[in-house]
Amino acid sequence: MSQTLAIVLASVLALPALAAAQPREVVLGVVYPMSGPAAQAGVDNKAVFELAAEIANGATDLPFPFYQRLKGMPGLKGAKVRLIFADHQGKPDVGQAEAERLITQEKVTALVGSWHSAVTATMSQAAERHGVPFLNPESSSPGLTRRGFKWFFRTSPHDEHFTQVMFDFFRDFEKKRGVKLKTLGLTYEDTLFGADSGKVMKDLAKKHGYEVVLDIQYRARATSLQSEVQRLKGANPDVWMPTSYQTDAILFTRTMKELDFNPKMIMTQDAGHISPDFIAAVGKDAEGTMSRAPFSTDLIEKRPVARALNVLYSKRAGKDLYDFPARAFTGMMTLLDAINRAGSTAPDAIQKALIATSIPGEQLIMTWDGVKFDETGQNTLVKGIILQLLGGKYHTVYPFDVATKDVLYPIPAWKDRK
Amino acid sequence: MVKRTALLALLAAVLVFPAVFTLPFPRHVMIMIFLYGSLAVAWNILAGYCGQISLGHAVFFGIGAYTSTLLVARAGLTPWAGMAAGAALAVVFSQAVAFPVFRLRGHYFAIATIAVGEIVQTLVINWDWAGGARGVFVPIKRPDSLWNFQFHESKALYYYVALGLLLLGLAVTRWLERSRHGYYFRAVREDQQAAASLGVNVAREKHRAIAVSAGLTALGGTFYAQYIFFIDPESVLSLSLSILICLVAVLGGVGTLWGPVVGAAVLVPLSEYTRVWLGGTGRALDVVIYGALIMVIAVLQPAGLVGLAARLGRGRRG
Repeated sequence: MSQTLAIVLASVLALPALAAAQPREVVLGVVYPMSGPAAQAGVDNKAVFELAAEIANGATDLPFPFYQRLKGMPGLKGAKVRLIFADHQGKPDVGQAEAERLITQEKVTALVGSWHSAVTATMSQAAERHGVPFLNPESSSPGLTRRGFKWFFRTSPHDEHFTQVMFDFFRDFEKKRGVKLKTLGLTYEDTLFGADSGKVMKDLAKKHGYEVVLDIQYRARATSLQSEVQRLKGANPDVWMPTSYQTDAILFTRTMKELDFNPKMIMTQDAGHISPDFIAAVGKDAEGTMSRAPFSTDLIEKRPVARALNVLYSKRAGKDLYDFPARAFTGMMTLLDAINRAGSTAPDAIQKALIATSIPGEQLIMTWDGVKFDETGQNTLVKGIILQLLGGKYHTVYPFDVATKDVLYPIPAWKDRK
Repeated sequence: MVKRTALLALLAAVLVFPAVFTLPFPRHVMIMIFLYGSLAVAWNILAGYCGQISLGHAVFFGIGAYTSTLLVARAGLTPWAGMAAGAALAVVFSQAVAFPVFRLRGHYFAIATIAVGEIVQTLVINWDWAGGARGVFVPIKRPDSLWNFQFHESKALYYYVALGLLLLGLAVTRWLERSRHGYYFRAVREDQQAAASLGVNVAREKHRAIAVSAGLTALGGTFYAQYIFFIDPESVLSLSLSILICLVAVLGGVGTLWGPVVGAAVLVPLSEYTRVWLGGTGRALDVVIYGALIMVIAVLQPAGLVGLAARLGRGRRG
């Protein structure tokens, strides 16, 4: 009896917020595409969210300090975490309706979602209106954290971070290998994806002192890329930076071989160049192609936290941890950590705790420097990684401290390949 | 007489609904019934009464949504002005595309409307000033105001605006049913040659039908934009939206006054509540049930739910 009293007294002294009535349950709304073209993302994420809740409830063990501290949610004296999953079908209006329903009828403490940038936009509007914290683990549209919202937090990098990592890589690579990369050749397709990418690449090239010697916006799904490749060959940049979807990426590689264009380094914007079909079609000819990415499966073996989680995840989901569930898990754990520190399910206490978030990088499964939000709610410690296609598979080559392979540079000329 | 009393009772029930159900979600379901009901009513004027099956009505919806949103976001106008401008623009656009498209009949007309829809969607995706594929936000303005057409505190006003749109569509349909043009429309639907031989100007009547239909659809587009505060080509211009509008009307009963409303009153809650009930399982069971029920109704009662009700009514009397 006196022991219980002592514990209660100690926690009351340690956390004044606890003086308020203790909630028995922490209910979180998790809204993802569970049907429609992107349903796989929602289904794969569901397994990892359930794992996150079990870790917080003490039912599953992840033996690393950050996760141990959360075990049993001591900040709320063992309140149980319960997740309510909902499907937004990839539709902004459905996302908004689900957010409102979860907030007003299920009385969720916070919302997590929702993959599509467009749905995240409308759902977070509803959360903002009701004053409920919204944690977004993966939507990559930069504008989401520029709306002046007070309840919106994003743990993932956005599109501009992803291009930044390429330039960080150039800098570190030049230092490490003692080479000089001065000129860039940009080719990007003419839909939104390419247009955005082209703009960010040009801005960053200027900022970091690289010269853009060739700047081509080409017609997406082109039937011939001969003239584009001829011009690349003529300009001969130190790095060729294409932004393409799959069919264009394949045609570029075939045309390069045909016209004997030998770039020493190819730095691509994910998408077409990283798709399994691209690797199947021209993987051998595309040897040495590099791409930015948020996470790579080959990192699992190198990061103890990721390896431990993957053992649990692969048993449940029947596949290895990859980009989507990896980011989803990181977002959910960030939120659970904040709720635990808040010691309450009151929205403003959680908001305060989220703002004070500071998770060290080595406790994450991602290769980021950690989690810390700026005043817009964007995690500032994010870091993309650079992959390189080597022997028909993408491997992590940057940041160098987490790399699983060395950078292949320069890419051998066509005449020197077997 | 009995029918009139029943209708008045229904109207009274609908009017007091927000006072009884104060949570946002039931109100949201009703708003969606009104919105999709009004879109299906508008579609029904062209397809049900005039016999021109359009699978491109999302274009008019999108014109309404984009016109008002761009005027709000880029010029600071009130959405009500944008709503009028959007409807006017949709009417003008419908007249322009109608010239080539109405030369086609039956299935070919339907295919052409799909093509128009896809072209417009692709154009908007590549149109930077209109937000491109990224879409446009309606700038949020607090506090709530009727002038700004933004109600964040309560959905009650949205509820009545949507109800107003539906009633407007029904009133127009009712008026058409009894007017000369309504008879011309139906004559065109039944047999274009016969109608022409009786002195009906077939081309002009078709243009009339699509103008009314497009204008009413565009009003719904503006409402959607002010309700969701975000539009992009995928949510307001997609083929799937065009098909949904058509589905609501067909399920309820094409070419009848109440068919589209009945269709919306069955389909919307079915889709919303199966999703709430089963959507989180990740097995898409809700979509399976939704699809299966549509199939059952379509097979058992091709004339739609209104046709089923009429048959039951006849059965009782006979």
